Amino acid sequence: MIIPMTRVQIVGHKQDMDATLRELQRLACVQLLDATQVHPGMHGYALAAEQKEIETLNYLLARLHALLALLPPLPDETPEPWDQKGLIESIQAELDAQAGELEALAQERQQLLNDAEVLPSYADTLSKLMPLTPVLTQLRDYETVAVLLNNPAAGLMDTLAAEMQEIAGPLSELVWDQVDPDHIGALLIFPREAAPKMNTLLGRLQVNPIALPESLRNVSFQDALVHIYQRLEEIPRRLKAIDVQLQESARTYRARWLGAARALNRRLEQLRARKHLAETQHTFVLVGWLPRDQLEPLRQTLEARLPQALVVDELLPTPEEAWDAPVLLTGNRFTRSFHFFIRLLSIPRYGALDPTALMALFMPLFFGLMLGDIGYGLTLLIIVLWARRRMAPGSGMRDLMTFLLFGSLWTIFFGFVFGEFFGNLGHLMLGLHPLWMERSDPDALAPLLLFTIALGGMHIMLGLALGIWQAWHLHQRHELWERAGKLVGLIGLFLLAGVVARQLPRGWMTPAAATVIVGLAMLIHGLGSVGALLAPVELLGVLGNILSYLRLAAIGLASVYLALVGNLMAGKIGVIWIGILIAVLFHTLNLAMGAFSPSIHALRLHYVEFFTKFYEEGGQPFHPFGGPDPFAS
Amino acid sequence: MELGLIAIGAGLAVGFTAFGTGYAQSRIGAAGAGAIAEKPEVTGRIILLVAIPETMVILGFAVAAMIMLLLPGG
Repeated sequence: MIIPMTRVQIVGHKQDMDATLRELQRLACVQLLDATQVHPGMHGYALAAEQKEIETLNYLLARLHALLALLPPLPDETPEPWDQKGLIESIQAELDAQAGELEALAQERQQLLNDAEVLPSYADTLSKLMPLTPVLTQLRDYETVAVLLNNPAAGLMDTLAAEMQEIAGPLSELVWDQVDPDHIGALLIFPREAAPKMNTLLGRLQVNPIALPESLRNVSFQDALVHIYQRLEEIPRRLKAIDVQLQESARTYRARWLGAARALNRRLEQLRARKHLAETQHTFVLVGWLPRDQLEPLRQTLEARLPQALVVDELLPTPEEAWDAPVLLTGNRFTRSFHFFIRLLSIPRYGALDPTALMALFMPLFFGLMLGDIGYGLTLLIIVLWARRRMAPGSGMRDLMTFLLFGSLWTIFFGFVFGEFFGNLGHLMLGLHPLWMERSDPDALAPLLLFTIALGGMHIMLGLALGIWQAWHLHQRHELWERAGKLVGLIGLFLLAGVVARQLPRGWMTPAAATVIVGLAMLIHGLGSVGALLAPVELLGVLGNILSYLRLAAIGLASVYLALVGNLMAGKIGVIWIGILIAVLFHTLNLAMGAFSPSIHALRLHYVEFFTKFYEEGGQPFHPFGGPDPFAS
Repeated sequence: MELGLIAIGAGLAVGFTAFGTGYAQSRIGAAGAGAIAEKPEVTGRIILLVAIPETMVILGFAVAAMIMLLLPGG
């Protein structure tokens, strides 16, 4: 259900503006509107004096978020309250005092993690090059470059040696050797002044020198290797010490700084909210949407908190203005979960029908009809009950679980109707008989198809009836004719089908044909100038929508036959435990597919077939000023 | 012989429409996955678009069922 909304207008003296916004933020029941759009003659509030404070708040918030990201989260973090008085100065002073040490710790931690990641590969490379290093001496004016190449690059060494001689002259040296079965290690020693040309040469030959970390650049390979091993040994100890320090800081500051971030954010929201206001020299005007039943409590609260200071009025919206009102959906604890599926598409416009309750009824029913097996239903029910308790209330996954919960109950119900317990296992082992028919029986195909078409026809006609009701209330003349034409035409087509199938007397033929023609005429009228061309197509489209419900039978049959094949194969195996294993595998696969596929198809039948008959999407969700709190623990 | 031809006809009715649906869904699904990565809020709309070609195979199934149920010997 969509909660009825109205508009509220609050006029007050500018000196009370801050207190009013603070109170509205606390109550979190009004979505602010641009007051100058409601009162085009008025000036919008100029955010000039507040700019500096907004910048400071943004800066401090960014700093706080950066510091909070350095501190490990704790299991229980209730943001500490901060006094608004002197808030900015207090936070600034605290951050200045603590940030340096924390940032240094975090930086060192990051460096340690990086070293732990890269130093083993340096150690590996250097140890491969060690056999070559005896040729090295400490040469003051010479540069040494080490490279490690894959074996196929062996031919490259001759080219490298020749070109190096050309660039750096006879005082250069290239030493290379096979360091392991897959790699060639090479050391290039050349006069320092030839370094730029040598770098160009290496770049041209696509040979990447081994770049040691900055701290190891000016030491010999032996020393570097020793240093790396020492460092690798030290890293875990130091990391542990830093983590202990960060944990301690987290215990001291996280809750405090979360509270500070919340206080800053609330102040920032208050300042930003001012741009929605209109102003005169001494007064401010605030306009916003709120649930109609919240108007009186709001008025009373504001009068109690700010006596004699404000004028709070209801600003009744015109029907055109109401069409743009934000949408707040509500429902009982069962239907609320199905808002998830509505939001997945788009929420309805204000004033239109909210189909959640109908979806909560039909979606699980379609699901159960498709899966229809007592065994699968019970298994799914147990899994869903277990999983649902582990999911956060309000999360999409929990809503999905709620749908599957109802779906599994309908699955059990239709399992009795079709006499299925893990396919025909119930019949074979427990003597289970269907209440209506066995879906796997070839004679059951025709009644099953007719049943799904009848169900589809009823669902589509319900959608059209809702569409007519809605078009009537919203004064949508064309839609009214169009939907009424489809409904009448559809009734006529059903009557015709009844006569052709000899379920109705032949005398009904003329009235049935007349009903179709009347429906087409109404449809042509609703569709306008191209109605004559489109009307038959539209009517056939509705018929196609109904035939689409055949999937309820088709997917159900696929599931039944897979279960039957599983049982048949398991029965053919001579060894009992292999047979059980095969049956379990088949039924697990069938259940996994059975939980997924019917969900998607039940959803599709609603989105494509049902909603297109009446649903007015495109509503804007209600976002009240002040809620929800992003820092709630 | 006649029964075999009826069965082949029913199989073709479902098979070809399933191929058509699969081909359409692969194209829509690939584009839809990209769209969802950019804008997760269009998920519902993409499900709707991916689901539209399924009507083909359902109609194929309806034709196959009619072939099997209505033709003599079916």
